[in-house]
Amino acid sequence: MKLAVALVAALAFAALPLLTNSNYIMGIGVSALIFTVAAAALNLIYGYTGLLSFAQLGFWGIGGYASALTVVTFGGTFWWGLVWAAVINAAVALVVGYPTLRTNRHAFVIVTLTFALLVTMIARDWVDLTRGALGIPNLPPPVAFGYEFGTTGRFYWIAWAFSVAMLAFLYALCTSRIGRTLVAIKQNEPLVRAQGISPMPYKLASFALSAAITGAAGGVYSFHLGIIDPLFLDFYFMQTFLIIVIIGGAGSFWGVVVSGIALSALPEVLRFSADFRMIIYGLILVVVMFVMPSGVAGWLRERRLTRLREQLR
Amino acid sequence: MSAILEVTDLSKAYAGVHALDGVSFAVEAGSITGLIGPNGSGKSTAIDCISGFQKLDGGKVVLAGTDITGRAAHRIARTGLMRTFQTVRVYERLALSDNLAIAAQQFDAATWVDEFLRTRRYRDAIEASEARARRLVELIGLQRYYEAEVGILSYGQKKLVALAAALMPHPRIVVLDEPVAGVNPSRIREIEEALRQLNEAGETFLIVEHNVEFITNLCHRVVVLEQGRKLAEGTAAEIHTDSRVLEAYLGMTPEMAVAEMESRP
Amino acid sequence: MTIDAVYLLQLTLNGITLGLLYALIAVGLSLIFGVMEIINFAHGELLMLGAFAMAFALPVTGLLYWPALAAAILATMLAGLVIYELLLARLKPDEFERSILITLGLSIIIIHAMQYIFTATPRLVDTQYGFDGVDIGAIRIPWTRVIGAGAALVAFGGLYAMLRYTQFGRAMRAIAQNREAALMVGIRPRVVARNAVILAAGLCGLAGAAISPIQLVTPYMGQFLIFKAFALVIIGGLGNIPGAIVAAVALGLVENWIGGFFEIAWQEAAVFVIMIAVLFLRPDGLFKRGGMRVG
Repeated sequence: MKLAVALVAALAFAALPLLTNSNYIMGIGVSALIFTVAAAALNLIYGYTGLLSFAQLGFWGIGGYASALTVVTFGGTFWWGLVWAAVINAAVALVVGYPTLRTNRHAFVIVTLTFALLVTMIARDWVDLTRGALGIPNLPPPVAFGYEFGTTGRFYWIAWAFSVAMLAFLYALCTSRIGRTLVAIKQNEPLVRAQGISPMPYKLASFALSAAITGAAGGVYSFHLGIIDPLFLDFYFMQTFLIIVIIGGAGSFWGVVVSGIALSALPEVLRFSADFRMIIYGLILVVVMFVMPSGVAGWLRERRLTRLREQLR
Repeated sequence: MSAILEVTDLSKAYAGVHALDGVSFAVEAGSITGLIGPNGSGKSTAIDCISGFQKLDGGKVVLAGTDITGRAAHRIARTGLMRTFQTVRVYERLALSDNLAIAAQQFDAATWVDEFLRTRRYRDAIEASEARARRLVELIGLQRYYEAEVGILSYGQKKLVALAAALMPHPRIVVLDEPVAGVNPSRIREIEEALRQLNEAGETFLIVEHNVEFITNLCHRVVVLEQGRKLAEGTAAEIHTDSRVLEAYLGMTPEMAVAEMESRP
Repeated sequence: MTIDAVYLLQLTLNGITLGLLYALIAVGLSLIFGVMEIINFAHGELLMLGAFAMAFALPVTGLLYWPALAAAILATMLAGLVIYELLLARLKPDEFERSILITLGLSIIIIHAMQYIFTATPRLVDTQYGFDGVDIGAIRIPWTRVIGAGAALVAFGGLYAMLRYTQFGRAMRAIAQNREAALMVGIRPRVVARNAVILAAGLCGLAGAAISPIQLVTPYMGQFLIFKAFALVIIGGLGNIPGAIVAAVALGLVENWIGGFFEIAWQEAAVFVIMIAVLFLRPDGLFKRGGMRVG
């Protein structure tokens, strides 16, 4: 049932460029789709596996730079850029994840945060590679079989296809036995070990996959912006992904997807001064954490469970 | 009868205290063996060390002929030793059916590739797992909760779930860490009955418990620990009349114990 | 390359001063973690509030340093109390991720509220001491730095005495070491937690007020420092106060020595590189998780 609705929604989204000529609206559409993918990847490592990772921002940035550099510095295509964005981030995640996942959850959070900061510093300071604060402007539009995705409307198809593919993959993963094992690890790790399952490979795989997907999303987004610079690593993006996951409900696949689409339009609605918008973001974070810590999806679930509990007792 | 589990000379110390000091015993296949002792005797430490949740300082653990000493907990589980925990551990926010399925999943031949392609191997594994789960759920009497989230069950019911989960992968031995602690008396009888039936069907159990009546009713053999050492070993009746055990554990003399046993209905 | 001894001395003294300021922040973080098992993401903002309070108090006191410092510390402690009562008090012990997200939200609110009200324009803070200082050979160490370092040392001395000899301090150590046991002997976690937060806020306020004459005051100033403080807490061992102090002073020295001879970028990276190395080699930190061992 849910899948049918999702299919219809996906098709509806595909139709957007046919319904409007406004670059502005299509731009919001691209942002909505890409941010939703990044949030879904965060949901995999945080909602399903239970590990709060701030490293996503770093992966997003590395992905953006990797695809930009592939095209601009190394003469590759946009498509290869995406592949590199995914592969490099997966490798980095494995290298960083291996020692970090063996420590406790407190250290994990701080290390991932530090990682994101390090990436920001490298983006700013390793000028030979990243061109520093000036960034790399004028990223060329992607080309496939001679067809140039030069307008926002055309680029939207790429964003759409990318999101559908990534979300489909994540859906398959989250509803599989592997997804269920991740949830089990989050809920009761000692029990998982007592049942013959080693948690480490699962955590590493989850971390690496979320890194690869977030990186690829960053790669797509940088070409949407047409420029990559250290501002791409602004903490604002991490906050956005976090708020999407928290409001949707960490651990709920559809909750996060719906939340992602809905909230991406929000910044445009909240077109006050930048500071005011951020204050509202902060307030949302605090209030939701107190009133609805499991997000909208979690709240709905609790209601369903209370009814079930009454029936069974 | 051969020994399924043989532990020799287990030792473990923390901060200068010998939690375990040269403990050796064996569990025969098909038996229910009890491990009792007063607080601080080392029972929980022994279980944790045997199942790989704590590291031994010395000694050997052999499971069905394989030396599992020092192995990681998940590898020990894969070799056929399943355990439960003193404070019950279940996946609270997953369904009962999922709780049981996860317990068996490491032990079937299907990989994620099989799952993705929905191969024969995968479907057979799922069918077998579900059949076993349903049988075990019937045994513990929780059929109506099969699709329900385990979090809504009572503490005693959760202990039954943990027991069923431990049995899912056809283990060689199930080690139960205080299976009836914190459980109300009517539920205790249920658990006792379930264990007896399972044992008659061939399952082997090592039970750590404080509840002496429970142990006496169920166990063929009992090992008594005190302050990290094995104090005595024998049948339930022998233990009940062993003067060293009575003194250390029950605080009674043999005469008092006999009088007590006779006064029971 | 000949190394000028006086230059090295200046770097070293600056390093120690900087390290002591880092230590004030890191110790507060460690204190809160030890007692509440949460990481306060808004910690840097407490420092920033202290700096702003100093910036506003000084003109009122006629640029007199000490009264303004006291006012700034009190203001920050009050802010800490408010934050505790409104938000932190409602957290349960095992809600680590939730505490991070809440304090993160708080941090965002505070920074942007301050920016909205006071704009991001950096402020220069002037004190009665102006740029006077101690002259050693060709270099001058401003009084403001000396006093800052001195105040930090006094604060740590006071903290040590309090943790070791007062009932309140012992209660904090008890909770950090073994929460359940502490509860059983009747220690009230809410009171201890509240006081720990106020204390940590005070240390931050002191740090912010001491830094304000040395560097420009902006709403973002806490952010730059807080990430280093996190790294220091990991290096020293979560919850380990002496560890945090040692790590902080060492970092101050390392940063200044590197910055004095190499590029600034490496100076900033230093702490993170060290942290990653420590995590590889000694995942629990360089010192054992002491639960606030004081001796």
